[in-house]
Amino acid sequence: MELSSNINTSPNLDAIFAALSDPTRREILSRLMDGQASVNEIAAPYKMSQPAVSKHLKVLENAGLVERAIDQQRRPARLKAEHMAAAVDWLINFRAFWGGSFAQLDQVLATMKRTDNEEPDNE
Amino acid sequence: MSDLPEYKLERTFDAPRELVWRAWTDPELLQQWYGPGVETIIHKFDLQVGGEWLNEMKWGGNSNYQRVVFQEVNEPEKMVWHHYSATDAEWNTAPNPMMPDWPALLLTTVTFTELGDRTAVCLTQVPMDASEAEITCFAEMMKGMDKGWGSGFDIIEQILAEL
Repeated sequence: MELSSNINTSPNLDAIFAALSDPTRREILSRLMDGQASVNEIAAPYKMSQPAVSKHLKVLENAGLVERAIDQQRRPARLKAEHMAAAVDWLINFRAFWGGSFAQLDQVLATMKRTDNEEPDNE
Repeated sequence: MSDLPEYKLERTFDAPRELVWRAWTDPELLQQWYGPGVETIIHKFDLQVGGEWLNEMKWGGNSNYQRVVFQEVNEPEKMVWHHYSATDAEWNTAPNPMMPDWPALLLTTVTFTELGDRTAVCLTQVPMDASEAEITCFAEMMKGMDKGWGSGFDIIEQILAEL
């Protein structure tokens, strides 16, 4: 992951996470992680109409997570995560920052306690 | 302005309060735990009101610089600081390259509460002097964390792992 990569506009995180809040859309994304797929191919495993799948794809498209080929009859959908990757990656890092730091603090405190016990004259 | 979004993390540590305070205020100890998975270098640590903590975090070939200015130091109970989340190598406030709308300044409050031999630490961060866009950006992030974006984060992590 290129942490230094620059992005000009913040992705709409609300739209991204609203899109991800639906289990069907998460499954669609999982499917697209294996490669591009048409609406038919996506709909096949579900008891779901093509219009319903198209509607879900539209939500994912508006969130910038998916793009549809325009020059092909079957208009396969494919994952388009690059533009949001840097920012979301950074948000994940923020989320992990203090939690991860506190876990390390636990270790430091355990070491300090051992050291203090070994050298009681120190305190 | 009373409804500013807030980041809050509470954790109880299995150590007496003086020890926890020392781990937060001795730069030698602080740089051992501050920043997960990075090398933390503390260039300056002046624990007094108006004093600065200049912090560099290195990973791979990158460096991230942060500047902290202490606002309140009440040993061993409480510290308040201004947290400039992104600066250049000369410690001047700079736009966040990852997230242009991330608040440039977070008011950070840390309290240490004695629980017998244990210590409860509560850390909060609130945007300060923030633009509408900065507040919105921070609020979206916090809202997501409150709702438990769990499964959303899981799939994003999978997607990022494949890029």
